Amino acid sequence: MSGFMYGMMIQWKMDIRSRSILVTCYIVPLIFFLLMGGIFVSVMPEMKKTLIQSMAVMSVSMGAFIGMPPSILETYGGDVKKLYKANNVPLYVSLITMVVSTFVHLVIMCGLIVLLAPGLFGAELPKNLPIFFAGLGIFLITSLAVGSVLGLLVKNQANLTMIAQIVFLPSIMLSGIMFPQNMLPEVLQKVGEAFPAFWGYRLMSDGGMVPENIFYLAILFCVSGVFCLLLLKKKKSD
Amino acid sequence: MKNAIEVENLRKSYGSNEVLRGLSFKIEFGEIFGVLGVNGAGKTTALECIEGLRKYDSGRIEVNGKTGIQLQSSALPAHIKACEALCLFAKWKKTKQDILAAERLGMDEIWKKQYFQLSTGQKRRLHLALALTGDPDIVFLDEPTAGLDVEGRAALHSQIRELKKRGKTIVLASHDMAEVETLCDRITILSQGKTAFCGSSAELTEKVGKKYNIHIKTAIGSEYFEVDNIEEKLISLLQDLKRRNVEVLDIKVDRGTLEQHFIAMTKGAER
Repeated sequence: MSGFMYGMMIQWKMDIRSRSILVTCYIVPLIFFLLMGGIFVSVMPEMKKTLIQSMAVMSVSMGAFIGMPPSILETYGGDVKKLYKANNVPLYVSLITMVVSTFVHLVIMCGLIVLLAPGLFGAELPKNLPIFFAGLGIFLITSLAVGSVLGLLVKNQANLTMIAQIVFLPSIMLSGIMFPQNMLPEVLQKVGEAFPAFWGYRLMSDGGMVPENIFYLAILFCVSGVFCLLLLKKKKSD
Repeated sequence: MKNAIEVENLRKSYGSNEVLRGLSFKIEFGEIFGVLGVNGAGKTTALECIEGLRKYDSGRIEVNGKTGIQLQSSALPAHIKACEALCLFAKWKKTKQDILAAERLGMDEIWKKQYFQLSTGQKRRLHLALALTGDPDIVFLDEPTAGLDVEGRAALHSQIRELKKRGKTIVLASHDMAEVETLCDRITILSQGKTAFCGSSAELTEKVGKKYNIHIKTAIGSEYFEVDNIEEKLISLLQDLKRRNVEVLDIKVDRGTLEQHFIAMTKGAER
């Protein structure tokens, strides 16, 4: 097994051992799903059509913005990076393994939501499941790219927690998953559109896999990717 | 014959702060070479330049052999197990994991422990084992015993001696003068970014330790003298004690410790 593949396997295991990933990728999204799922469908029965998409957006945003960045900061913010450099471990490797591992954890979590939501809350399954998961994949990878920028950019855990919340909370409140977006003032609607959650929610909704919904996520993914490359380059030369 | 490491006129600045100002020394194969200096003398910068972790402005560095590096401050992800870290680093160095070498360093007792569960001494041992992965010819140890208790320090010292027996070249940066004096064949003292001294402890004593120190312990107390002529002083001292009928319990003569010579050498240097 190559160093890269072994690193991937180790990262997966570390994520399972790490309570923060367990909490942010599984426990909190599950509790939110079990609690809010019931409330949503009893207050607004029409939300049964979009419950799975809403909960998927919540889980992905939680894992990508709150769960993964601290692990990135732990590796790239200090002495771990130095040890990797001294032992010829390429710096990009840890980032890729963390992104892939979190991706898999969040897909599992969203899979659980898809499996449980119809039975528990009478939620409607997406009409085309492969398209739903394709949309989830696009939204996930974009959110993880943004989360990677946060983890590489911010220099200490306290600031990271604050900034991650600044990204996470509007993603949840302004993307339309909690209540219809047209209920918001116009300014907040515009602000909500700046977050990937807004587009991810539309993308995963039935009939939402259209270029218009992919465009912003694609741009955001590319910009975040370039930022990550620049930040890694800077960290290499530090 | 080639040396393990040759450093010639090495210069490095951080902005307007010139940290290394023409540093030069050579390290022979198979020796333990100590790098000493007060804080800010440029030890870590020099080592990091030699290790290839830091770019330097000018000069020449030649490293003849595979290197293993134990950094002054380093860490691993909190949830990685010792065995996984060793295996991961072996894979990246494209080498097989040396189970025997790991056992020699006492890795078997922490094999399945996660990094955050290790004590300071165990972490140091793991970092040493990681540095030794791939059987390097030259091993850099930057403050390897910092934060260790007496037992951990002694264990690490014996491991360093064991490495020397196996023919490794060891570059040891430390603030612990006793450690350097005990372990190192030769030392260099950095002062204000330059080599203030390079040679053996005996050569340093010849250069700096002009006076003899006499520590004498008798039944009525302890006394200390610093003298130029050892024979004359010792004879008169012993005669005097005999005349006064004072029992001598212990007598020690030296020409100063490495620490005293180091202080003499770096007096006035920035800290």
